[in-house]
Amino acid sequence: MKNPLIKRLPRELKSEAGKYIVLFLFITIMTGFVSGFLVASGSMSEAYDESFEKYNIEDGNFELVSEADEALIGTLEKEDVTIYENFYIERETDDIDSNLRIFKIREEVNKACVMEGELPDSADEIAVDRMYADNNKISVGDKISVEGTELTVSGLVAFSDYSALFSSQSDMMFDAMKFSVAAVTEEGFAELGENGLHFSYSWKYDNPPADDIQAKELSDDFLEVLSANAALTDYVPQYLNQAINFAGNDIGRDNMIFAVFLYVVMGIIAFIFAITTSNTITKEAAVIGTLRASGYTKGEILRHYLAMPVLVTLISAVVGNILGYTIFEDIGADMYYSSYSLPTYETLWNMDAFIKTTVIPVILMTVINFAILVNKLSLSPLKFIRRDLSKKQKKKAFKLNTKIGIMKRFRLRIIFQNMPNYITIVIGIFMANVILLFGTAFPPLFEKYQDDIVSNMICEYQYILKAPAETETDGAEKFCAGGLVTIEGRLKSEDVSLFGISAGSEYIDIDFGADSVYISDAYSEKFDVSEGDTITLKEEFTGREYSFTVEGTYDYPAGIAVFMSREMFSETFGYDAEYFNGYFSDNEITDIDEKLIAAKITEDDLTKTSRQMLLSMGSMMDLLSVFGVVMFMLIIYLLSKIIIEKNSQSISMTKILGYTNNEISGLYIMSTSIVVIGSSILTMPLVNAVMKLLCEVMLSQFPGWLPYYVPMTVFVKIAAAGIAAYAVIAWMQFRRVKKIPLNIALKNVE
Amino acid sequence: MFLEISKIKKHFGEGESRVEVLKGIDVGIEKGEICVLLGASGSGKSTLLNIIGGIDSADSGYIAINGEKTADMNEKALTMYRRKHLGYIFQMYNLIPNLNIKENVEVGAYLSDNPLNVDEILHTLGLYEHRHKLPNQLSGGQQQRTAIGRAIVKNPDILLCDEPTGALDYNTSKEILKLIEEINKKYGNTVVMVTHNDAIKNMADRVITLRDGMIRKNYLNEKKIPAAELDW
Repeated sequence: MKNPLIKRLPRELKSEAGKYIVLFLFITIMTGFVSGFLVASGSMSEAYDESFEKYNIEDGNFELVSEADEALIGTLEKEDVTIYENFYIERETDDIDSNLRIFKIREEVNKACVMEGELPDSADEIAVDRMYADNNKISVGDKISVEGTELTVSGLVAFSDYSALFSSQSDMMFDAMKFSVAAVTEEGFAELGENGLHFSYSWKYDNPPADDIQAKELSDDFLEVLSANAALTDYVPQYLNQAINFAGNDIGRDNMIFAVFLYVVMGIIAFIFAITTSNTITKEAAVIGTLRASGYTKGEILRHYLAMPVLVTLISAVVGNILGYTIFEDIGADMYYSSYSLPTYETLWNMDAFIKTTVIPVILMTVINFAILVNKLSLSPLKFIRRDLSKKQKKKAFKLNTKIGIMKRFRLRIIFQNMPNYITIVIGIFMANVILLFGTAFPPLFEKYQDDIVSNMICEYQYILKAPAETETDGAEKFCAGGLVTIEGRLKSEDVSLFGISAGSEYIDIDFGADSVYISDAYSEKFDVSEGDTITLKEEFTGREYSFTVEGTYDYPAGIAVFMSREMFSETFGYDAEYFNGYFSDNEITDIDEKLIAAKITEDDLTKTSRQMLLSMGSMMDLLSVFGVVMFMLIIYLLSKIIIEKNSQSISMTKILGYTNNEISGLYIMSTSIVVIGSSILTMPLVNAVMKLLCEVMLSQFPGWLPYYVPMTVFVKIAAAGIAAYAVIAWMQFRRVKKIPLNIALKNVE
Repeated sequence: MFLEISKIKKHFGEGESRVEVLKGIDVGIEKGEICVLLGASGSGKSTLLNIIGGIDSADSGYIAINGEKTADMNEKALTMYRRKHLGYIFQMYNLIPNLNIKENVEVGAYLSDNPLNVDEILHTLGLYEHRHKLPNQLSGGQQQRTAIGRAIVKNPDILLCDEPTGALDYNTSKEILKLIEEINKKYGNTVVMVTHNDAIKNMADRVITLRDGMIRKNYLNEKKIPAAELDW
């Protein structure tokens, strides 16, 4: 015969329908979201991995000052590599403020995945990156004007070597709003002219490296040969190419965060379930005692009380997974597609996602509830019958100063009586606030960063020249520009911009001492370098090292940079005293041949990181904010409901004594209000510290630096959102208090 | 008449399960009287007490204290009525488990503009040395004394006692009854006490016996004896 207690389950479900529906929806949606994200990322990751072979992605690329002749290609190919011509030109678009890096359609290496439309067929057609098109509202069939040439968009594609649209390896972040890769036909490419032609080549190893270590060895060897035979301007092996690897690394990176997030929230929900069940056991103590006295085992009773939380979790997780593969997968995929130019993918069954979103949460729910309930049910039947569920000798009341008014002491007693509930509320509020801060902190952080960059810009236009050239432009000031990389240690190796500043500079106000340098504040913060320290940097391609003593920091948040006098720059790098290769200017320079300009850096270039970050994270942030508020409300609702239910007899009695609903709410709801509002405000410094840590860990993975900044208004908004959400819950609990009948106290406790 | 109970009718359930619990109770109780309501289970005595206490409502009829009728009161007014006039003592004490003994009494004191001295009451009730203990650390008798303290600290006009000795042994029951008597003497409250125990009628000024929702007997007890002399 089946255990007749099973029949209670549907009745329990019915009697507490509201609570279970809310929990079901919450767990289902959360599981669905995480499952959808994991399934999308798994499928996307598979498609990304396959894309290396499917689209024949290069093992690296390099750029030469001039076109390589056949002899050079022959020499290079003797190193067991195949060289592919991969020339491109960069052009500005006329109607949109953006740059296009235009290639010929590549049919051998770095092939494109057509997402919509088709590749160009005639000289007046162009295919552009799908994400760039989305960001700029370009559709197939639209016309775009490229420096006077009007081209029809024939297709939107994902370029396999630009899954993240980095225009330069030294960029902290790509900019899919103002930069795109594009492809035209061979005739179309010729018609665009040779102005700004980049002699870029891709290579593929005949025997591909097994891992990054081997890839580094092969690329170092190849670089040696290459630099011995040709004048290099750029060299990017695939394993270091952010445009190729960034998306792949990011897809994997988020999975663990999502899984841990799910486990933490499930842990909190499991604890809420355990508190609720524990409360039910207290209420049903006499019945449990009678059942135990009649011969029911502890295990049978335990299984009965475990059944509901485990069943609800299991059903929610399974339904969540179904939604994960259907609705939420598209949301997850859209999040990736809104950040990266990834190829098309097919949905794949993901065992890892199933384990993470179903098996582990069910185990977590079972273990936490088991641990708490087994302890609660370990008392003798007689103790249950007598409703004496205290394990220790009778608990003593701790003293409270009697000078404190009775109502305040009453509230304090309620708080101490319900400590497990309130601790869970505090943890829940902390978690919800971290989520809320994550959802709201980034826009002001990026805006501040952007403002700082703009207000600390050296000048309106920075020009980097391929060779020294004179200008008559008013206010143009010569400087030396160079680049070294940091040495890999706690943080990955990354590019450092070097500036050699003219004496008495109008743009940079530093009084350089002899043989010492200033570093940007971004450098100082990221690498924890301060005045008096010595930094060692190296040349990326030769490995030659340089050491500098830091004299101070300079407000330059735009990048990792070192400032020194021009004199020192020339001396350090072996140039003559008059050498320069750049201009600072507040006016645009128009009298230098464009062929001699390697780069023109404006406000747009310096602020692209914040722009792209905002673009990539926008939808995710909104989702997190909503989730944070819902989680906040759910946790407080369930736990404060337990507190009211647990005290219904006392509430009923106080009503009989003559307390009004407002006075009773002032006791039972006010206690929760004190905890909620207190912890909303008091946990903020901790929330801020956790957020800062998260940001620093996250941002240290990126090149460059973005200082952590959250204005006070964000914390005020979060606290206000929390308090407003709580006001709704408090109102619901006030109604609950009001509904507690007087006759509860009249019923003799069984 | 201080407490006027007029034509009170009350039923529970509907249709076949409808039970007329009170069938028109008419009785008056004078100020300062100890009135014992006797009757078997289901006679309607607790229902009548609850209606007097304003925690249940009558189908018809009214309760009036000093002419103030409860039937005309809304929920808030009833709350104020209980606050102003009544003290309640139950069989199962109904103390607030997370407050200590003194605080439980203070909960009652808070409701009055002129409460009695809490410490003095604790002394009177023999609870002063236990004042920092939680209810579950005390015996049943001590808990009931606490409940009495909570009820009388606001010096109510009427003390409603619903089987106050129902869960207690003989000696403790007598102690509690003596206490109720002392309080009645000291503060002059009207006491309405519901009980199964026939012997308790002997300490009452007035005895009302209910049967099947009707008053069977209502008389002044001329042979009243002190609670200490009760025996059963």
